[in-house]
Amino acid sequence: MKPFHPNRRKFLKLSSAAVGSGLILGMSWGCSAEDQGSGNSSASSFSPNAWLVIDNQGTVTIFVAESEMGQGPYTLMPMLLAEELEVEWNSIVVKHASLDPAYGYQATGGSASIRKGWSTLREAGAIAREMLLQAGAAALQAAVSDCKAAQGKIIHKPSGRKIPYRELVSSAAKLPIPEKARLKELHEFVIIGQSIPRTDIPDKINGKARFGIDIKLPDMLYATITHCPVFGGSVGQVNASKARKIKGVIDIFEINEGIVVVATDTWTAFQGKDALEINWNPGKNTTLSTVQIADRLKKLSPGQGETTWQEGDAEAILSSGKTVVQADYIQPPQAHIPLETMNCTAHFRDDGKLQIWVPTQSPSKAHETAKLTSQSIIKRGLNKLFGAGSDDIEIQTTLLGGGFGRRLKQDFVSQAVQIAQRFKQPVQLVWTREEDVQHDFYHPLTLHKMRGALDENGLPVAWELFVSGTKISASGISPPPYAIANTKVVIKNTDEAIPRGPWRSVFAHYNAFAAEHFLDEMARAGKQDPLDLRLRLLGDHPRLQKVLKAAARGAGWPGQAGTGYLGIAAFSSFGSHVAEVVELRRSDKQGLVVHKVTCAIDCGVVINPDIVEQQMEGSIIFALTAATKSSITVKDGQVEQSNFHNYPILKIDETPEIEVIILSNEEEPGGIGEPGVPPLAPALANAILSATGKPVRELPVKLSAIKV
Amino acid sequence: MQIRVNGNRLAVDAPEDMPLLWVLRDFLHLTGAKYGCGIGACGSCTVLLDGEPVRSCITVLGDVQGKEILTIEGLSKDNSHPVQQAWQELQVPQCGYCQSGQILSAVALLNETGNPDDEDINTAMSDVLCRCGTYPRVRKAIKLAAKTLRKGEAT
Repeated sequence: MKPFHPNRRKFLKLSSAAVGSGLILGMSWGCSAEDQGSGNSSASSFSPNAWLVIDNQGTVTIFVAESEMGQGPYTLMPMLLAEELEVEWNSIVVKHASLDPAYGYQATGGSASIRKGWSTLREAGAIAREMLLQAGAAALQAAVSDCKAAQGKIIHKPSGRKIPYRELVSSAAKLPIPEKARLKELHEFVIIGQSIPRTDIPDKINGKARFGIDIKLPDMLYATITHCPVFGGSVGQVNASKARKIKGVIDIFEINEGIVVVATDTWTAFQGKDALEINWNPGKNTTLSTVQIADRLKKLSPGQGETTWQEGDAEAILSSGKTVVQADYIQPPQAHIPLETMNCTAHFRDDGKLQIWVPTQSPSKAHETAKLTSQSIIKRGLNKLFGAGSDDIEIQTTLLGGGFGRRLKQDFVSQAVQIAQRFKQPVQLVWTREEDVQHDFYHPLTLHKMRGALDENGLPVAWELFVSGTKISASGISPPPYAIANTKVVIKNTDEAIPRGPWRSVFAHYNAFAAEHFLDEMARAGKQDPLDLRLRLLGDHPRLQKVLKAAARGAGWPGQAGTGYLGIAAFSSFGSHVAEVVELRRSDKQGLVVHKVTCAIDCGVVINPDIVEQQMEGSIIFALTAATKSSITVKDGQVEQSNFHNYPILKIDETPEIEVIILSNEEEPGGIGEPGVPPLAPALANAILSATGKPVRELPVKLSAIKV
Repeated sequence: MQIRVNGNRLAVDAPEDMPLLWVLRDFLHLTGAKYGCGIGACGSCTVLLDGEPVRSCITVLGDVQGKEILTIEGLSKDNSHPVQQAWQELQVPQCGYCQSGQILSAVALLNETGNPDDEDINTAMSDVLCRCGTYPRVRKAIKLAAKTLRKGEAT
């Protein structure tokens, strides 16, 4: 597969100078082959690997293979490379990499970007630096050992003579590429560890940033889709006569997933969709409901599950007459609801290529999906349609208007390909918000059953954790981090018809809530301070202990009587360790409000402190929405919510003060996009337990309804 | 039909009942205003109509005749508006999709109130949703921009 070749001049025109930093952020969708780092240098450029190109003007272009959805890869990944390359930050240009095997499987998720890039990008930069050092030493007629690289130059240390990288481009390009190069020691870092402003922000404050929905192409048509509201249903009878009469409606047809309306503009396509009269074949899920699923989960017992962890004999201790604490926790399905609804633009071009522009977390998966869909069009004998199915597929990843896991699925790519193959023109598929809410891949409904036994001193001596739900995992709690002598973890995976997908922090979200709230229930029953109990039981987890202490200190734990109610929780996920303290206060009106959240994170070596802070703020607010406001319910096989009026998300006036404490150390970097989510709901529930004496057994919890 | 957008008089061939959002996006290719809900519930489509913030997804073309429409593209040529500068300084956007609506709502607030307190900010901004959770920085940036604007007036 060859990368896209846009007009180079157009490419430069579309780039925009960043305010203040002097940094230029390249066009966010794709790059030309001659621009692409390839490991193939030319006479006027040096490119020892796919991650960078230095040209003879001294411009250093760094290619980012991760999708930018606000979590910072367009800044963080270049920081890793630029650190080792020894270039001035202002001399770099950031571009989104094409889909190319040189970058491996391109998917952004699991808070994995930095953890992957920590070695690959630093090595890519270091190898280039070593080659420039050799070339520079030769040009200065000096020994390599007498020279050093700094700020885009090779410097002869004894004399101070220097030569800039731009003059070494052609000679460095002729050198053999070493397999390894020395990586800098942590204390030598000058870029890593700085709060460098994000490269994507200048275009995000003036409307220039191009998201998938912003792609405009000559003669482009606009399409929208309506899916069967009942999961697993299909199209029955369609009366499209009213819709066809709307001026601007071009075509209406069925594809695998539903009915598509194509029109001259987005609004007309939406109008056409609303005018359709469809009798759906609802299929076999017409009685599916979340109430029923929860009832089924409630009836399950650990004996029906699979044991994933066992230490000591929890069952024996639990039935030995000690004080037993018991709780069931239900957490509802959640939708992702990124503000940019699902969309994809596809064009079967005259030259036989299929070109796709898509805000996706996985261009590699988008490519596979497009290829499969395109080929199945041929197999099904549909190649009399215009776009006959193509192997030659180009994926342009645009900026993403939010992801949160939703855009790891590529259903909209398959749909756009099925639609575009009927037209000579490019077609942009845009889902309405209603379709987006009702046809998501949801965070699953989960039920945790917990039992704990306390000894005569009120300390936990046995813990049984049972988690059930659709395609769930006991990750993070199997084993739990707490040193409790008799522990058993059991899971039961059920197979419900509600589509399931990864949602920001995935397993950690539901497991942290149940485990960390239950720990407070046990502490309360045993008359223990929740923080002291955690610290006591976390002897093997010094990093968790440290974040707990830091968050507690920051929040003024245990608080002063009569002001607020504090709750604390901690969880390790995606290579990082986070503790959060929620402070509740009585509302002026009624119930409680979240006054402040104090968060302490240990994510190892910190690449960019401000981006860590951004991600903690965002994670806390995302988690507060799920803990206090939103839930998906299914009745008669259909999602009952459809837009922000009935799937509400947190607003600015409901947002507490947030303090983020970053504990820097020399451990390998951990993720930052997700680990801030899990501790919030249990810290909130623990604060409610402290305020009212009553635990939270079901989320979301309506704070205004709580009586203190 | 002619409308005034960012100081320019522009001809558009769109039906009068089409929401302004889609006229801007699909006819004029001014894509800064975003589609988020289509029911006036999220604020991503906010533009200023004679200085007042409106939800362009529920404001039809026929109702904007003779009025001055300001979109994010018209706020400044070079990110120099004090609200944009505060947004840059405090690194407000994450995914960025809702930020045109956040910024224009903040501009309208600051046109009304030179020194907004938290309550003013809550009232003006509470219906502009952000899924990434940039609210703490939106609040701080509005206060910073207000300070800059007040200084500008003093000199």
